[in-house]
Amino acid sequence: MKFLILVFENIARNPVRTILTSLGTMMLVLVVTLVFTVLTTLDKVTTEKSANIKAIVTEKWQNPSLMPYSYAAGLSDGAADPNDPNAIHPQDSMTWGFFVGSTESNPAKRGYENLFFSFIMEAEKARTMLDNIDSLPDEQARPLIEAIKKMKEFRNGVIVGEGRLNKLKKRIGDRITVYGRNYRDVNLELEIVGTFPKETAQYTDSAVINRDFFETELDTYKAAHNNKPHPLADKTLSLVWLRVPDRISFNKMTEQILTAPSFSNPAVKCETSSTGISSFLDAYRDIIWGVRWLLAPACMAVLALVISNAISISVRERRTEFAVLKVLGFLPWQILTLVLSEALLIGTLSGLLSAALAYGVINGVWGGLPFPIAFFPKFAVPINCLWWGAAMGAVTAFAGSFIPAWSARGVRVSDVFAKVA
Amino acid sequence: MPSLEACVEVHDVHKSFKRGSEVLDVLNGLNLTVNQGEFVALMGPSGSGKTTLLNLIAGLDRPTTGSIRVRGEEISSMSEGQLASWRTRSLGFVFQFYHLLPVLSAFRNVELPLLLLPLSGSQRREQVRNALDIVGLSDRMWHRPGQLSGGQQQRVGIARAIVTDPALIVADEPTGDLDAKSADEILNLLVELKNSLDKTIVMVTHDPRAAERADRLVHLEKGRLATQ
Amino acid sequence: MFSISGPILFAAAPWQVFGGSSPILQGIFAATGFLLLVLLFIGKVPLSYNLMNLKTRWVTTLFMVGSFMLVIGVQIGLLAFVNGMYSMTESSGQPGNVMIMSEGSTDEAFSNLGFADATEIETQEGVERDEAGLPMVSRETYLGISQQLTDRKTGLSKRRFLQVRGVDGPAMSAKVHGLKLDTGGDWFSDSGVREINAAGDTAIEAMLGAAIARELGNDRSDEDLAKAKRTDRLDVGDTFQIGDRVWYVTGVFESSGTVYDSEIWTRQSQVGPLFGKSTYTTFCVRAKPGFRKDQRTALIAERKKSAEEAYQEGVKLKQADKTAPTPKRQSVRTEYTEQEWGAELLQHFFATEYKQAAVSPQVEQAYFANLSATNVQFLGMAILVALIMSLGGLFGIMNTMFAAISQRTKDIGVLRLLGFKRWQILVSFLLESIVLSLIGGAIGCALGSLCDGFTANSIVTGGPGGGGKFVVLRLTVDASTIAVGMLLALFMGFFGGLIPSLNAMRLSALKALR
Repeated sequence: MKFLILVFENIARNPVRTILTSLGTMMLVLVVTLVFTVLTTLDKVTTEKSANIKAIVTEKWQNPSLMPYSYAAGLSDGAADPNDPNAIHPQDSMTWGFFVGSTESNPAKRGYENLFFSFIMEAEKARTMLDNIDSLPDEQARPLIEAIKKMKEFRNGVIVGEGRLNKLKKRIGDRITVYGRNYRDVNLELEIVGTFPKETAQYTDSAVINRDFFETELDTYKAAHNNKPHPLADKTLSLVWLRVPDRISFNKMTEQILTAPSFSNPAVKCETSSTGISSFLDAYRDIIWGVRWLLAPACMAVLALVISNAISISVRERRTEFAVLKVLGFLPWQILTLVLSEALLIGTLSGLLSAALAYGVINGVWGGLPFPIAFFPKFAVPINCLWWGAAMGAVTAFAGSFIPAWSARGVRVSDVFAKVA
Repeated sequence: MPSLEACVEVHDVHKSFKRGSEVLDVLNGLNLTVNQGEFVALMGPSGSGKTTLLNLIAGLDRPTTGSIRVRGEEISSMSEGQLASWRTRSLGFVFQFYHLLPVLSAFRNVELPLLLLPLSGSQRREQVRNALDIVGLSDRMWHRPGQLSGGQQQRVGIARAIVTDPALIVADEPTGDLDAKSADEILNLLVELKNSLDKTIVMVTHDPRAAERADRLVHLEKGRLATQ
Repeated sequence: MFSISGPILFAAAPWQVFGGSSPILQGIFAATGFLLLVLLFIGKVPLSYNLMNLKTRWVTTLFMVGSFMLVIGVQIGLLAFVNGMYSMTESSGQPGNVMIMSEGSTDEAFSNLGFADATEIETQEGVERDEAGLPMVSRETYLGISQQLTDRKTGLSKRRFLQVRGVDGPAMSAKVHGLKLDTGGDWFSDSGVREINAAGDTAIEAMLGAAIARELGNDRSDEDLAKAKRTDRLDVGDTFQIGDRVWYVTGVFESSGTVYDSEIWTRQSQVGPLFGKSTYTTFCVRAKPGFRKDQRTALIAERKKSAEEAYQEGVKLKQADKTAPTPKRQSVRTEYTEQEWGAELLQHFFATEYKQAAVSPQVEQAYFANLSATNVQFLGMAILVALIMSLGGLFGIMNTMFAAISQRTKDIGVLRLLGFKRWQILVSFLLESIVLSLIGGAIGCALGSLCDGFTANSIVTGGPGGGGKFVVLRLTVDASTIAVGMLLALFMGFFGGLIPSLNAMRLSALKALR
């Protein structure tokens, strides 16, 4: 413990060097933190759960999945036969369609700022079925609960994420007109009734509109176009989410759905959400591999080199000192430990600071890391990045400083003092 | 043989340094003339101002008041850039610890000041060889300082000091780091430079034997010449 | 989806600048080279001094070169990936082709066209005809489908996304898209089905793109591979499975470096019953190069007018609302090749005059250019990662240079005493830093170049609401990638060495010698 003062003194003797080493460490730990944020999030969502499973029902073949809305009622009940007492009914369900549009009427001026992306769904399901929102305690979900109540009152209500509200420069209570892009010539007059809870950054750019309101709008379209339905009128259902308690129920329900005659044209498939996401991510497997096995190790190697360099320079400059310490009675292993401790201290603290800043800034200011893998809006930096950052800094500092520390340990008193005399 | 023409003229020079809130007067109205071709040794106790005087004569620092002329040029009023150019052309400096660039060979160390003059490669090479010849190190010209003894390193230092053929050589304890034999060799060399090349030499030394080799011994005490 | 669109557009801009041997890149390179030469010329402190010091402190030099090598190597790899994406999307469109989808479709996957629409379109004047007088129109049903299979290595069931394109006339479709069959291959038959064994089992006939042939080839078991004609990919006569149907390969397309390398082509009449999509999605039409030649000037004038109107509206909006985005004048392209002109005029015709069906025409090259929304995002990420890593390296070299200077304070004093000016000291140490970074950068470029030619899977999308195409792209390291890598190394060396060199410059000769 008393040597800790020596360690601190040595680190403080050349503040410029210590700061530069720290900054270099922080930059590289930042890259690895970002990489691990993405990888651990993807690993988590693709890991099969054994209980409280969410299943997704989608069109069997085509991607993107487009099913008729007439499937919704049956699928929401897991295609359970009403006459079968042993049929599995899902504990909860949610249907999704997607309405993508722009608040800008002039097609030439449409861009990212006026983009509108919404889920067409039953509003109350946003509380019970949306990922991360379903696990929030009531106090945190309060804004959404209030918004859902308003959605029942205002059929043309819309719940919009804060990020999107800011970009559109709108507030709760405002009205907006959204010009459909995927549903061409379908324009919706909506009233903003609420927003998502702050704790769920992933929905910050999204919105929710009422399913029955949307279906009514399609009817209006038909009436206005000589009774000709919209080309996508029978393709408004994209996914159906079903909650089941365990794998056995999931397997049984899957069989129910696949054998039900009503869902054969178009045919459907049923899989767990983790399987669904895994399949989707399969296309990115090379990128994920490269990031995991090339980028992250390269950063850590550079980190080790940067620290190693700094410590080597420091050791070279202090050879006389180490010789003096030996004359005073310090043992070689104590000198080794001294140098290693300096490196570990810089590496660990810098790594921790970098991870903490990443956590605070990326989550707090940006709402998460935007990484362009399709429907994942943002990746929240998990809290355990703090210990990875520290650990990474420590491990690379140890690896990088071991050889210079060993060299310091081996300083020969006679060699040093001959030169000085 | 020293001529009667002045090479270095130090006139009423004062030099003060600030140490925190205190002002230290190191040189107090010093006057000194060194004639061309003269070998002058500066001696004095620690703190007498001899190194400070040497630095002023070498154009490394400026007096607080007073003037210093070297071969008629008023160096005390030159700008930093002018002093740098002046040092290249007109001054050779010999250090106690040689101060050779450790990664360059003897040849390259000696060549350094010539790089600042408009000379061709062959002209530079000729002058370097001449200088190394004068100091007797032609057979070691490609050795690096780490491969040379103390005496040899100092000779390289002297070769570097004379390669631009300056009129004035200043030496700060040139034998301070050498054994008796090497010291003697160096002093012989300096005397030879004075005699055959008519160099003016101002040397700071603690060593009375070194001082003996000079034409004139000047004692400094409390920032003035002892005789003042 | 990126939430910082500004920096992304900025990030994309250099790529448009650097893509290919752009004059701006050449200019930057020339200027940098010139600057280096100037530094070398005016620097009077011999470069050998710096090089010998780098050699003496070889451990430190090695560490720094190693760091630079890794940073630049990674950057080259990332850029090679993005380069591959851009090459793919840019080369996928044939000049002269117009893609016609049904109105309201943002992508092929959402489009529905009828048989009658096809015959109408084929008779239009602007459609090119081939040597036999046949209209160069490819009638297609494009589908993204998901194929369930068992992973050979893990035994787990997984899904893969496949691009299936049902075509009526494979030979004509291939001609329109500029694709050639590899030797030994053939088009599929009129029925699109064939018997594959004595028991009367049938298989769907298919032609495969080179990349998907490789991908599907990897699904084969070891026994199948042992018997196969080619182990690197599926070949003519091989079979694969989608769902419970067996598919038979009649031909493989030559590698074209386009998205079509990742597609499975089959008879359009098979696609409906198999996957539930019986309508067409796309008519890809080759335009007559000289179509409506006299209207070219008018078309450009009209586009310029629209762009100007949009800009003025943007200006008015900005004046009324200070927080509105700053309007930018959209540049209107005026130079096209003959073939491209044909496509532009034909697209305009279908968009404004053709009333027989509700269609959405796009010049094929523009369609694929729009698919590069993902490219921009990946490029942005690549640049961000490169910048952060290079800052790490920069701090490393700054440390090294500070240490070098503090160890060589006496050298600096001697040089100053000998008459070297302050700025010459600055130039000397700056050059040392730059030389170090260029050596590391060059090795890094060589290391990164090893990835050239490797393939990687990815998805390209046109943004929200658009379908995604699963593609296999080729990592491409070209001159501009290397140039960017070296410039990054130079940036690190210059800025990493600048502050320490400025410090060295400020040392007084006297203080340095004490």
